[in-house]
Amino acid sequence: MKRIGVFVCHCGINIAETVDVKRVAEEVLKMPGVVYTQDYIYMCSDPGQALVRKKIKEEKLDAVIIAACSPNLHESTFRAAAEEAGLNPWQCEIANIREQCSWIHSNRKKATEKAIKIVGTIVEKSRLNESLEPIPVLIKKKALVIGGGIAGIQSALDIADSGYKVILVEKESSIGGHMAQLSETFPTLDCSQCILTPKMVAAGKHQNIELMTYSEIEEVSGYVGNFNVKIRRKAPFVDWDKCTGCGLCMEKCPAKVPSVFDRELTTHGAIYVPFPQAVPNKPVIDKDSCIYFKTGKCRLCEKVCEINAIDFEQEDRFVEEEIGAIIVATGYDTLPIVDLAEYGAGDIPDVIDGLAFERLLSASGPTVGEVKRPSDGMVPKEVVFVQCAGSRDPERYRPYCSKICCMYTTKHALLYKHRVHDGQPYIFYIDIRTGGKGYEEFYHNAEEEEGIIYLRGKVAKIFRDGDKTVVWGTDTLTGRNVEIEADLVVLATAVIPTDSTAELVKKLRIQTGPNGFLAEAHPKLRPVESINSGFFLAGAAQGPKDIPETVAQASAAACKVISLFSRDHLEQDPAIAWVDEDLCNGCQTCVPVCPYDAREYDEEKNIVIVNEALCEGCGSCVAACPSGATQMRNLSDSQIKSMITASLGGK
Amino acid sequence: MAKVAYYPGCALKERSSHLDRSARDATVKLGFELDELDTWTCCGAVPPVSKERIMNLIAPSRILKNVRDSGSDVLITICDFCYNTLKRTNYSIRTDEIIRKRINTFLADDTPEREYLEKDNSQWVDYKGEVKVIHLMEYLRDELGYKQITENLKRSLKGLKLAPYYGCVMLRPQNEIQLDDPENPSIIEDFISALDAQPVKYPYRTECCGSYLSISSPDASTRLCYRILNSAINKGADAIVVSCPLCFYNLDSRQKAIAEAYQDFKPIPIFYFTQLLSVALGVEYGRQGFEKHYVDVTPILDKIGTSSGKGDEE
Repeated sequence: MKRIGVFVCHCGINIAETVDVKRVAEEVLKMPGVVYTQDYIYMCSDPGQALVRKKIKEEKLDAVIIAACSPNLHESTFRAAAEEAGLNPWQCEIANIREQCSWIHSNRKKATEKAIKIVGTIVEKSRLNESLEPIPVLIKKKALVIGGGIAGIQSALDIADSGYKVILVEKESSIGGHMAQLSETFPTLDCSQCILTPKMVAAGKHQNIELMTYSEIEEVSGYVGNFNVKIRRKAPFVDWDKCTGCGLCMEKCPAKVPSVFDRELTTHGAIYVPFPQAVPNKPVIDKDSCIYFKTGKCRLCEKVCEINAIDFEQEDRFVEEEIGAIIVATGYDTLPIVDLAEYGAGDIPDVIDGLAFERLLSASGPTVGEVKRPSDGMVPKEVVFVQCAGSRDPERYRPYCSKICCMYTTKHALLYKHRVHDGQPYIFYIDIRTGGKGYEEFYHNAEEEEGIIYLRGKVAKIFRDGDKTVVWGTDTLTGRNVEIEADLVVLATAVIPTDSTAELVKKLRIQTGPNGFLAEAHPKLRPVESINSGFFLAGAAQGPKDIPETVAQASAAACKVISLFSRDHLEQDPAIAWVDEDLCNGCQTCVPVCPYDAREYDEEKNIVIVNEALCEGCGSCVAACPSGATQMRNLSDSQIKSMITASLGGK
Repeated sequence: MAKVAYYPGCALKERSSHLDRSARDATVKLGFELDELDTWTCCGAVPPVSKERIMNLIAPSRILKNVRDSGSDVLITICDFCYNTLKRTNYSIRTDEIIRKRINTFLADDTPEREYLEKDNSQWVDYKGEVKVIHLMEYLRDELGYKQITENLKRSLKGLKLAPYYGCVMLRPQNEIQLDDPENPSIIEDFISALDAQPVKYPYRTECCGSYLSISSPDASTRLCYRILNSAINKGADAIVVSCPLCFYNLDSRQKAIAEAYQDFKPIPIFYFTQLLSVALGVEYGRQGFEKHYVDVTPILDKIGTSSGKGDEE
């Protein structure tokens, strides 16, 4: 019989306060197969691990069980320790008596009984555990970065600099993202374009980066190290190889299309580049707005293009790429003002959002950096800034804090004051949150030196009265209602996931959280990885964040990819499904139930086989198999049966 | 003629019976009849917003169950308070299992032991919220279609600038009522347009009129009503349209106190939406009870040539 050793952790008082760990050790020693038990205050500490290693050798243990916290936390720690002492790692099991016992109970006697049963269950499993070997998987050393904002650019540059190839896919015709729209950045007031454009150019020129702008992900299959990705290269109706970016076509185009980049404060032609510093600096034709595509007449751009780069016959192309790792950096949008009924629902021209105000402040914006309001071009003298427009409002809009608005609103008010010296900015806020290096100082300076009036309270209603925009709010510090006849109102609208994120995650089969942002594998310890291996997260697609944080996360995600690529092959967990070829009759019931497409039918043998690289060990196939031919390694039916018996207190 | 179950409520049965009469007259012109329930009680008016739920929900639940038992699945109200009370009670019965079971113990003829009932799943749950509570204006908009009104107009209200006033309970709380956007509604505006009149937008259309404060702190209500009325007047409104008898009372009768408190104030007539509907569909002038108004509406009716009796049907 196997010689099993059980190590019971106190976890300080986390477990020991509720569970009598000494008694657990005593009782477990009576179980069949258990030859040694020991409790210790911190089993995960160096001395704790040393104890496990020492006893494996001294007691000649064939298997160990660590009764401690969740296996999510320290299974890999203890398996490594067991391996060091010469044990097969799959002979090390965790019995979770913290999250599933001590933390959720208060009755010491009952909790101790439960802990004994939990350990007993794992003892039963351990008795039948086999020694397994990890499955090697080869890695394609080419990365895909989805999203060409600052997050995607930074990730792509970091991976490319380490010598690996990167494909950077962006759905717009230029990389740059929202950061290209910004004027100055808090708290240092660097010009956003000045710090961004060199990176854009570097990404465009890097020999290891292949830019695929005006492109979208069509289909993704495969698994970590071996993804097959199909990318749609949307037809720009311009031959980009020929085009020199002279801009004559854009000058002559008679169509007028509201500029998304300028938040509809200006228009451009149907053939356009989103902004002059675009990378690549090549125009596209917006098919929905192009007069030729709508009426069959015009083709003016074609006539003026001296090098015949315009091509109305172009169609979308598809390219397929083999990819080892994918970084998702699809960024954010802001809640449309139309959704905010109490703030005029988008009907009031002088109620704009933060990004539109960035364009008004920007030296390359529609007003060349002069603050002029949209309705009549007047320089506004009273400007009201409304924070949390749609954020922190679980009943009606978004429950979460959009994180960047406190800082950018302060920046807005400050820049406004620098441009319009006799102007009066007001800021309505719920709280001012300035967590970040130099942020509190920036806010204090604005509040104390710059004459910005901060009003603590929500704005109830905004409406038009003549050429004024009336704001009703509350100042909760004085307990009074406030009415301001403003010339311009700027809403710090909630940061939301982009529309395309929901569609993309379905194609990638990765998870999002309750608010639609990408979900990380662990909020603290694995913040840049998706729970699905091979996918990494960067930037505001994972949650609202500012530029410094985005860049840090982008580099971190790149690091993860580089670390993956630095290995020759991957080791896949072997505790997955396998098929008993003698029992399988090829009914294929398991094929559609597999969420990972890991089941394949082998016609020749008339059986179903497991793609070991794809299988995640979820067990759906085991439940579905009518003949019992599919089993989980180290979680067989007989193991589960004896575990259930043990958990019910039977023998 | 098609009949639709109808709950008038206390105000419209007594003090404001002219508003009820207008509604009945008008709907007949539109081809359906408001069929008053055989027996009905007070809906409770305010209680659904208070904390102690069950007792307050019993009266409205009984009304709803009677509607269902009489074979109707739709109940029309024309008072915002009745609408709010009945609709929210029905919402609670539909969505809250505990409330549904408790209510049904009170609705059952032979009441089982309550404890037994809360454990049980189906046997004693009789009324499950089947009835759909509809505001007459909602019925006109969604079931009949405002277009039908426009096509049946007998008197044109063209040239009249009418300001809608929404009050508090017609639209809130949004997740339970779901009639229109409470912050930026359009149902009364669209109704006014259907009558060929011109809707006037003004910022105070969804602000509070003081409601019951009219009794306990009349000055507060006076101030609130002044702000609403003055805002509408400044936007060029000839009159105001309401759909709640209490709003009607406050905005109309309070103008006496407003005129005393604010020297610059000029009175503005108030209409219940059923009255305008009745006038526009050609019901004999005089049946709308305009003589009961504090503020004289004749100047408005003169403006569209109605008070002289022009346009009355034979």
